[in-house]
Formats: sequence, C-alpha cells, structure tokens
Amino acid sequence: MTRPAWWQRFRARGVFWRQLLRFATLNVPPWTEPVIIAFWSAFFLFWGPARRGLMRNLVVIKPRSLAIVNFFRCYRVFWNFAWTIADNIRFKESRSIPDWEFTGWKYFQEMQSREGAILLTAHMGSYDLGAQLFSETSTRRIVMVRAPEGDSETQEFEEGHAAGGLRIEFNTRASDLAIDLLSVIRDGSIVAIQGDRVTGDIAFLPATVFGQPTRVPAGPFALALAARVPIYPVFVVRLGRRRYRLMTSRPIELVRSRNRDADFARAVEQWVEELERAIAEGWFQWFTFDPYWPEIAA
Amino acid sequence: MVHVRSVLAGDRSVTMNVIADRPEARLLPSRHHFAIARLVAFLRLQLRADGRSVETPEHLILPIDRDQSSAEIYAIATWVFLTTASYFACLLPLPLPLALLAAIPLAFIAIHIPIVVGGPLVRLLAGEKNHVRTISAITMGALLISSLYIARTATWARVVAWLFLTVVAGNAIAAVILWMLRGRVQAAEKRCAE
Repeated sequence: MTRPAWWQRFRARGVFWRQLLRFATLNVPPWTEPVIIAFWSAFFLFWGPARRGLMRNLVVIKPRSLAIVNFFRCYRVFWNFAWTIADNIRFKESRSIPDWEFTGWKYFQEMQSREGAILLTAHMGSYDLGAQLFSETSTRRIVMVRAPEGDSETQEFEEGHAAGGLRIEFNTRASDLAIDLLSVIRDGSIVAIQGDRVTGDIAFLPATVFGQPTRVPAGPFALALAARVPIYPVFVVRLGRRRYRLMTSRPIELVRSRNRDADFARAVEQWVEELERAIAEGWFQWFTFDPYWPEIAA
Repeated sequence: MVHVRSVLAGDRSVTMNVIADRPEARLLPSRHHFAIARLVAFLRLQLRADGRSVETPEHLILPIDRDQSSAEIYAIATWVFLTTASYFACLLPLPLPLALLAAIPLAFIAIHIPIVVGGPLVRLLAGEKNHVRTISAITMGALLISSLYIARTATWARVVAWLFLTVVAGNAIAAVILWMLRGRVQAAEKRCAE
C-alpha cells in the first residue's frame, strides 16, 4: 500500500480522526465527555455519504418510518458510534474497561474451552473492544479478521494500538489468509470475523436480510467447513455509558454433505436469523454506513 | 461467587480490579468520582444491605473505576453545560431568548477550550501520557473562577453561580464526611466484594 497524500489523513476514514480521538481520551475529563460526544455526534451528521447510507438502511429496517425521524435516528447511531470508538481507544490507552454483562454464557464458555472455533459477529456495538478485551483475558489466542483500512497510515495506526494477545489480519489477500486462518484454528485459536457485510472482492454467499436480497461473506462458512469447527454468533451490544452486553448464541454447526451449497445455505439462514434479531433490537448501533442492500444502493 | 481480581496485565502491565457477579457492586463508592456521589453511593449501599434482590445477568464483570457511574457523569455534564450556557447568556448583549439560543453553541465551544488549549500545553510540558486529571483541574478551576465572577454581578445568572459554588462547597463537606467515615466505607466495600 502506497503512502497517501498528506490531505487524505483528513478524510472521513483517515488517520487524523483516530489520532484526534486518541488525544481526546487522554485529555477529556469524564464529566464533560457527554457534552463533547453530543457535539461531535452532531458533527458526524455532516458526513454526507455515511448519513445517506444509514438513512437508506433504516428504510429497510424500519419500513414505515418517516425520513425526518430517520434523520434523528442517524444522530442516535452516530452518538452510539462515538461512545463505542471512544471506549475502544480508552481501553487501548489506559486499560479502562466498561461493565460487561453476558448472555449465552454457557455458549461463550463452550467456545473458549474448544480446540479452535470461529466467532462470527457484526459491525455492532464495540466489536473491536470485545475482541481486544477477550484477547487479554481468554486463555485462547484471538485472531481478528477485519476489512482493510483505506490507507497505510490508518492501517499502521490500528496495528500499532492493538492489544497484546490480539492479532489483526486484514482481509486483503483472501487465498493466503484462508490457509493461514485454517492453521490458526487447528492450533486451537479463535478466529473472530465480521459476517454482516462484504467489502472489496471477497467471496460471498447470497442471503435475505429483512426481506431484501443481499450478500454475506463466504469466508467464515468455508473456514468452518474446512476446519470442522462450529461458528459462534457473538454480538457486543452497548447498553449505556461504559456498559456492554456480550451475547453469544447457539453455535452454527456446518455438517458436510454431498450438497455443499445446501450446507452453506442452512448455515447462512441460521446466521441471518441471529443477525436480523440483533439488528432489529439494536439498529442504533449497527455501524454500517454504506447502503447494505445492493437494490437500495442502486 | 465473588472474584476480586486483576485482569488485563497484557503487554503494558496495567491492572484493574473487577468484581464478578455482584450487581450491588454498582453502588460501590469507589465507582464514583465526586465526594457527594461517593457519599450518596455509600448511603445507598448501606440501605441495600437489607438483602433486597437485584436483577442478575448470567455473568457480570464490574470494574472498580471512579468514572463508572453513568448517572453521576451525565448529571455533572448536564449541570456544567447548563451553568456555562447561563454565564454566556447573561454576558451576551442580546434579549434573553436570543442570548439563550446563542449561548448553547458557545457553551459547547467553551467546554472544548481547556482540552484544545490546555491539552497540547500540558503535553508539551509533561510529555505524551494521560492528562485527564490535569485537564479536569483546569476545567473545574476555570468554572470556579467564572462562577466567582458571575456571583458578584447583578445579573440573573448569579443564582446559577451561587448554586455552583454551593455544590462545590457541599462536595468539600462530603469529602470531609467521607474521610471521617473512611473505615466504615472500606468495610462496606469489602463486604460487598467478599
């Protein structure tokens, strides 16, 4: 990846904003934080493409809602986004952790006790914080796969500020990564992947979410089939200020049969069921700023 | 079952105490920032000693961190914001409704000033580390000075200023009471963590 031009650091996904947030977590008094976040959440509303993407997604999630209502819902999404990224950076910089509640604790423990598993999550709440935290508390090594950053500076920043036990892999080189992840799972580690959206040229499977056709990444399902391990749907939901819930659901077991497409379809159906439930309950913290459904994007 | 343990040693050797599966630990005075809030938390913790059941999630981890109380932090943030906005509104040479309207964005900007100006200065003097305590002191100092000034004016905002000064004085008294009760507070916290 080539070095970006100096001005690119100020783009919406540029490194400047992450550096600014890091500065804020090291300098903002906690008792002025809500005011600061309220201000910057309003500032995010000027980020046109993200706001429009959110509004389009909200039309599908909340079909009978008014545009003006969805505009204010965008503010709520940005408010939650600001808090979660701030919590994430605060953990990285000062090891300050939020309150954690767990549901599906038996599935979570089962996942930790297994020799290798796949943790499938979505861009909800603080998935980064969850991965960072459990990489440091879990006896298992966590490998987090995520979409590549827009430029090398931002990617370096993210890699340089990761937790000790966490390895971040950017899914840019799909074929090499698949072999690497397979060996990681066979070594007993947990691979955490976001399974709600397809970015770049990665392989995908067709799915229907909220009644609209879309695509989900094929990687986690192919990996589960190859490694013969279950997929655990896990969502990290923000409940309030410095308060999160980690929800682990019944594992998705991929059983190999003669019809691979049908195997995948069954697994995708179970995943979509979990995903829909999580998004319906927590639409205000589903951080998908691009139009999710190809039809509404067109 | 209770575990008080240090986690997150990680690569930076920083530890934090957490309490597991004790929802009433949310009321620990150590999880509150200001003395008044700590005192209220202590009193609530004492009242909760009657064994009333609290809704318990399947598994719960509560860190012992003085900034964990949302109710306290939101209350202080709202109060600081409204106080700052009131000071601007009374100083602006505009009719009151217009002044109040103009004061809202000004208060948002003013609350950023100690961070934006103080942050880089402190960083220059003390290096790149966590300066939250220093910036907190600067911000509270600025509010205190502003309140002392406004309290001496003949404007309506002097009521707000006196309220601010009264709460600051109340916090100081609460700190003294907490110091006197420190043994009982520690015992109550220990009981909750056992």
